[in-house]
Amino acid sequence: MKNKRLSQVRSTPSMLGQRKAQMKIQQMAFMLIAVTLFLVMAGMFILVIRFSSLQDTVELLEERNALLLVSKIADSPEFSCGKAFGQPRTNCIDTDKVMALTGRLQDYSGFWGINGLEIRWIYPAGTGVECSLDNYPACGKMSILARGEGIGKENFVSLCRKEQEQDSSLVYDKCELGRIIVTD
Amino acid sequence: MLKVFISKNNKMLNKKRGDKSGFIQISFAWLFAIVIGVIILFFAIYASVKLIGTEESVSSSETGKEVAVLLNPLETGFGEETTTRLTLPVESQIINGCESFGDFGEQEISVSQKKGREFTDAGVDSVAYNKYIFSNKSVQGKNFYLFSKPFEFPFKVSDLIFLTSSEESYCFTDAPEEIQEELSSLGQANLLVENCPSQSKKVCFSSDSNCDITVKENEKSVNRGEGLVYYETDALMYAAIFAEKEIYECQVQRLMKRLEALALIYNDKENIISGKGCPVEVNLLGLADSASSLKDSADLIVVKSAADDAEDENKRAYCELW
Repeated sequence: MKNKRLSQVRSTPSMLGQRKAQMKIQQMAFMLIAVTLFLVMAGMFILVIRFSSLQDTVELLEERNALLLVSKIADSPEFSCGKAFGQPRTNCIDTDKVMALTGRLQDYSGFWGINGLEIRWIYPAGTGVECSLDNYPACGKMSILARGEGIGKENFVSLCRKEQEQDSSLVYDKCELGRIIVTD
Repeated sequence: MLKVFISKNNKMLNKKRGDKSGFIQISFAWLFAIVIGVIILFFAIYASVKLIGTEESVSSSETGKEVAVLLNPLETGFGEETTTRLTLPVESQIINGCESFGDFGEQEISVSQKKGREFTDAGVDSVAYNKYIFSNKSVQGKNFYLFSKPFEFPFKVSDLIFLTSSEESYCFTDAPEEIQEELSSLGQANLLVENCPSQSKKVCFSSDSNCDITVKENEKSVNRGEGLVYYETDALMYAAIFAEKEIYECQVQRLMKRLEALALIYNDKENIISGKGCPVEVNLLGLADSASSLKDSADLIVVKSAADDAEDENKRAYCELW
């Protein structure tokens, strides 16, 4: 009896129309999902292109910054010879001052806006050993900032320091050839 | 859904009744498409507007970063003055921000570009810790001049950068001879020592009538109409002329922080070279103390006294530290 009434209900024209409408809604829903997916994909495509060009700009600016910085950082007050070795010279690093600076690097975190900064002796070639207060000046490099990831640029510099003659108390200026490596 | 049935039922009824009254019948599919179409259109317009806004912000940020990068060559290292002309692609506002907290404070630079008649929101700040720009908080124009001069107190602390727009000129007609010579040798078009146009800002050294900026050399003070600020050395005098009081005071604080740090480095260097036959002769801790206790530019005179003592000791020393 109950089944018979149900089959009668199913067969009414209004219910048939309802089923048709449901089909249409389903079609429309699938279509909407497809359109939304298409728009999302298109949006992502635009964003990827945009951000890749932005990344290029960032890299270009970082490279330019490193290039400009490497030629100027040696002249910044924390490194430069000033008049301590006679007339002021460009690209001259006072290694005595840099040794003093290495003891205060915690204050200079992020100061130059670079990832890495290293000074190496070229001629005469140093021992390659990292400088410390115990072995300075019998060492070969000074890692002021740990060399991180990024674009590295280098420049030749004079590395000057005060030295005492072995058999007298005379103090003289000693300058050697080195290079400064900046990683941005 | 309800409306569809109503609509369909009405249609059927109307057909049966032969009623031709003006009722607009819209099927569900049309209604749904219109609603969804409007929503999609709304989101598309919203996304476009947002994207354009982001593009403007990116463009301003890129320009700000470029300006910050271009400031690197202004580190002269030779005790010389230098000037550079900076041309931006469109009329812009360079916004100079200064914060004095932390070990060295912060120099913030951002750029707001002109779009139509209005300026867009400023881009992301480019932050630098080792630069000192003296200017108004906002400098507007398409062409700018960057003039730099080393600040030595007594050793070199940094190069100070003075930023001005080509649209505003400064008139130094009654400046002392050495200032006039220095400005003439710079050749910066908006710093004039003669034939000043009427709209230029008049910088007075000897009289204080009809002046925009008054410099009193005996008091070592500058008045821009915002209250007195004090200076020591020519570099800080220019800084006080070109910068708003708030920016000037903040940058002086930052410079003193760097001076303190450098004095401590020179003190450590003195100890390092004392093992190489160089006696300890220069007292730098006094200079570091006076720099760290500076409250505002009025205290510069105290630091100057300590700096002069350190300079004298360094000149007499067996091994000069700087």
